Amino acid sequence: MIELTINGKKIQAKEGSTILEAALENGVYIPYLCYDKRLTPYGACRLCIIEVEGQKKFLAACSSPATPGMVVNTETPKLLKARQTILELLLIHHPLDCPVCDKAGECQLQDMAFKYGPSESRFKAKRKNEIADTGSPLVERNPNRCILCGKCVRICGELQGVGAINILGRGFNSKISPAFEETLDCEFCGQCIDACPVGALGSKPYKYSARAWFLEEHDNICPYCSVGCTVTLDIREGRILRSRGIEGKGLNKGNLCGKGRFGFDYLYAESRLTSPMIKQNNEFKKVSWEKALDFIAKNLQAVTKAHGAQSAGAVGSQRCTLEDNYMLHKFMRGVIGSNNIDSIARLGYAKIQKAVEMSFGLKALPVQLDSPLGKEAILVIESDITATHPIWGLNFLKAQRQGSKLIVADTRETKLTRHSDQWLRIRPGTGTALINGIIKKALDEGIYDKAKAPSIQGFNSLSESVKDYTSQKVSQITGLSEEIFSEAALTFLSAKSRLLALTIGAAEDTKGLHTALAAANLIMLTGSSPSSLQMPAEYCNTMGLWQAGVTPDMLPGYRPLDKKGMDITAMLYHPGNIRALYVMGEDPLLSFPDTREVENVLRGLDFLVVQDIMLTETAKLAHVVLPASSWSEKEGTFINAEGIAQKVNKIIDTSGDSVPDWQILRNLARVMGSDIGGKNLKILQDEIQSIKCEAGHLEMKYNPVTYVPTEGIDDNYPISMVTGNLMQHSGALSVMSKSLSSVLADAFLQINRSDADKYNIKDDSFVKVISRRGSVFVKARISHEVPTGTVFVPVHFPHAKINTLTRLSQNGDSPVIAVRIEAMK
Amino acid sequence: METILLKNIENPNSAEISEYLKTGGYRNLSKALALKPKDIIEETKKAGLRGRGGAGFPTAMKWSFAAADPKFPKYLVCNADEGEPGTFKDRPLLEKNPHLLIEGMAISGYALGAEYGYIYLRGEYPFAKDVLNKAIKQAYEKNYLGDNILGKNIKFHLTVYQGAGAYICGEETALIESLEGRRGQPRSKPPFPVNFGAWNMPTIVNNVETLSNLPYVIQVGGEAYSKIGSKDCTGPKLFCVSGCVEKPGVYELPMGTSLKEIIYNHAGGIKNGKKLKAVFPGGISTPILPADKTDCPMDFISMPRHGSMLGSGAVIVMDESVCMVKVAYRALKFFEHESCGKCTPCREGTDWLRKILERIEHGKGREGDIELLSQVADVIYGRTFCPLGDSAAGLVMSMIKYFKNEIEEHIKNAKCVMSKE
Repeated sequence: MIELTINGKKIQAKEGSTILEAALENGVYIPYLCYDKRLTPYGACRLCIIEVEGQKKFLAACSSPATPGMVVNTETPKLLKARQTILELLLIHHPLDCPVCDKAGECQLQDMAFKYGPSESRFKAKRKNEIADTGSPLVERNPNRCILCGKCVRICGELQGVGAINILGRGFNSKISPAFEETLDCEFCGQCIDACPVGALGSKPYKYSARAWFLEEHDNICPYCSVGCTVTLDIREGRILRSRGIEGKGLNKGNLCGKGRFGFDYLYAESRLTSPMIKQNNEFKKVSWEKALDFIAKNLQAVTKAHGAQSAGAVGSQRCTLEDNYMLHKFMRGVIGSNNIDSIARLGYAKIQKAVEMSFGLKALPVQLDSPLGKEAILVIESDITATHPIWGLNFLKAQRQGSKLIVADTRETKLTRHSDQWLRIRPGTGTALINGIIKKALDEGIYDKAKAPSIQGFNSLSESVKDYTSQKVSQITGLSEEIFSEAALTFLSAKSRLLALTIGAAEDTKGLHTALAAANLIMLTGSSPSSLQMPAEYCNTMGLWQAGVTPDMLPGYRPLDKKGMDITAMLYHPGNIRALYVMGEDPLLSFPDTREVENVLRGLDFLVVQDIMLTETAKLAHVVLPASSWSEKEGTFINAEGIAQKVNKIIDTSGDSVPDWQILRNLARVMGSDIGGKNLKILQDEIQSIKCEAGHLEMKYNPVTYVPTEGIDDNYPISMVTGNLMQHSGALSVMSKSLSSVLADAFLQINRSDADKYNIKDDSFVKVISRRGSVFVKARISHEVPTGTVFVPVHFPHAKINTLTRLSQNGDSPVIAVRIEAMK
Repeated sequence: METILLKNIENPNSAEISEYLKTGGYRNLSKALALKPKDIIEETKKAGLRGRGGAGFPTAMKWSFAAADPKFPKYLVCNADEGEPGTFKDRPLLEKNPHLLIEGMAISGYALGAEYGYIYLRGEYPFAKDVLNKAIKQAYEKNYLGDNILGKNIKFHLTVYQGAGAYICGEETALIESLEGRRGQPRSKPPFPVNFGAWNMPTIVNNVETLSNLPYVIQVGGEAYSKIGSKDCTGPKLFCVSGCVEKPGVYELPMGTSLKEIIYNHAGGIKNGKKLKAVFPGGISTPILPADKTDCPMDFISMPRHGSMLGSGAVIVMDESVCMVKVAYRALKFFEHESCGKCTPCREGTDWLRKILERIEHGKGREGDIELLSQVADVIYGRTFCPLGDSAAGLVMSMIKYFKNEIEEHIKNAKCVMSKE
């Protein structure tokens, strides 16, 4: 800490901080327009000028370091005058369209003009008359209001790693624009909108919807991925109008991705369910809650009476709260008496959980959002963290900027590969072979922790198992050259600190249990701690779902269970195993691989209940559909990928007659004559709190794995199909959002130019994609992001039904599939 | 005086390496490579060499910061973005004596531990680009540049990078941004380029003339070099004289030669026997001096005492027929055009100043415009991100200081008082 004097007051400041940071930390106000905590100092607006004793010139507080003993004055008559004139300079050309500007009332320029005046200008000049860029989705740019602080440019380039806009021209003719003054076409994260101090950048969905002073501000936790960002929701007359990140707030420190910023409007989708419905003569009929619950109770009891409790099963949801999932567990185990409870996490996070338990003996290994920072080498295996966990992804970019060597192994070109120091363009699903190759390299060249690594159980079998993974073989499998592979391996192995990161999502087909186990083997071999392996949970409450016992083999708190129930594969892929199914907040018919099998099972059920916020594909097959309250319509808890439990607030009224999931289950239990607790949320939360979570105890063990070649590529099915998430879409919620759909509303098939030419496919034309399980029609998009022989398709769009093509991972392999593509005539 | 920098410049083939070698070229490089790097810095310090780009910062001190930085690689950048109106002193060096610069850079690179050098060349100097590239090729062929210079296992590579025509890129941090392929606008200092320069590595940016002095410093030693010029401002200096003089051109004279002497003794006095009215002593970024203030020694220390600066040594001479409003207006047009637009006072302020001067020049000046000019100049001066804004404001301030009456007349008569009608 250093000491300096500001306005006669002695203050303490962190070493290396700027004068502005020192002042703000100590509650001294210095005006600024171009400063942003997240960015490197820029010093352009000159409003933060201050006087330092002994310095002839004024200094910009934002870009001048605070030094010990410095005497700073921030509010002298000279400074006041200087600031007034700078504002006057800015206002000469600024349009006075505050009455129609959405920013009015929260505009920094307006506030400062009010604070410093003067109201009249000594100089008159023509105002700028640029054409506003209204052509792009979600973000609207009005260059006339721009004061050229450059924050948007820097947020976009420096923080987001995109660089969609820059300053064009120079001097007085400078303006912010995409290259060649084209219409903005970017990832639409909207970070620039929050950063803009004036009304030059606006949110299109929010445009003209309210004056800032009528808005009520409420914080909540984002309902999308597992990062657990705090979103600030502004509501008026009970309706959420926008979502913002506020500097420094939450785990995300004010950063938001497009889903967090624009995706909330799924709440207002027309497809929301408003009342319980029972299917009669193949048509849904609205009924009262009493009738619906009665109907369910009767039917469930009938099925279990006839076929036993084991004939009933339930599917929980990674997007429902901890409380909701806990009640589903209680309902299944307490009322029905069955352990057949699972979720789609079985196809994603469960593999991570299993690998962590097998390798480290731990029940869970939460990630840390700041884990990439300060690591010498970072290896990411076939994961686009900037799309699946966008805000965590920013830290990978930041680490790279700060000097970490970022090595990304991925078939596809992603934001992460673009920012990597080394991009290993491996064939899809060959990550396991790559890791095994690195292990072999470490053993051969003696670059592993010779003290710790051999003492871990299974060392000999590990070295035996990777015997065949020579550089040559790795090169054959992955398609990398031996030199490139060796270089990357050595960078990773010889680093003093390292991180290995990968995601396993249900929508991703390039990784399996084996990938995670191989990664754990490598981490143990290098002598790094388990936390050097970062494998995040997928959705906002995946960790919560797990903790709530929505899994056939564990009770809440990761407590072991003797009599395991059926998991999702047993329930949904084997006709006849169950007769009645209760689905909460999940859409197996859309999200699960190989949906033909799933459909077969669902259609064969005696009784299907779906409790959701909208009429999903699965719900259409249900006998009863129950409307559930959504996020922001109910209170609860989300546990993020760091294992942090965060409170989720009720901010708006529930939609129609919908009821929070946990209450529906409690009420149903009551109708069925059982009391499973949950008189109110507080009591329920106390009950959950009292459950002690078992952590397991750290006991490392190698689990040798071999690379299993993925589904055969042959003349009939010559192309590998990669599936995954997009930056703007991650599943059921995002596709309900009008805003996010304005960026992308439909599935597409990314295909390389050479393949497109080979199959005579034109950009934006429909193609038929055929796998060994089915076929779909989808639009082709020619892109260099995929190499020849590989295509990419996002799976979440309902009517593309991509999951009719995909398959379940068997025995821990990566379920990449082989397809054939035909152009449509 | 014997010329050092412009030596051999009359020779039409002076840019050829063969000619350069004939006059002892590259001998100083081999002499320097026999010394320890820190000894070269020490000699430079003894020589008292100051940067010739305009600020006059002691070269050896700047070098020692970069040399002390353990980060590697280090870069040496030659600032050849000579773009200010009236400034053309580096041009003869670049076009006629490129090997002197190359030799100077190779010596400096060795002294600093820099293995890569760049010449950031003004976009509008295409001829110099060809000359430099040819000279560099010749130097590589003769092993004065490359991986193993003169068999001494010393590495120095040199590349010419042509700017895109922005004056601001003469500012060293903007130059580095531009060199990295970004938009040319200045970076915050600190950190300074000596520690965080090109690609965030220690980088020394030196002017063409500064680097061209190095071979001579090595040749005669720091001690002898320091005997040339004024006491604290040593060495030969190039003065480029333009405007209303009989013999405009580039003159190599000892540092500290008086401004009057330059104009009258060397440049042949005022053209057509007219009277001297005013001078920009170091380009339009230095405050203007009226005729009665020209008896001042031209060096970095003395000039500020006389109310101006040495700048680049670009002496722009104006005779009695020149309209000061027009001069100010034209100068401001330049600054407005060249302002990068990053900081508010410069971007908006130069535009404002230009517009006021424009209306005065066009006979539409208003009462109070002089006060307005000085108020606006006041807001710019000392408040901008880089010295460009200061230059624009300083020019207006010095104009008002010395020629207020003339501007007032201009406004009152709604026309130029200098015109004959």
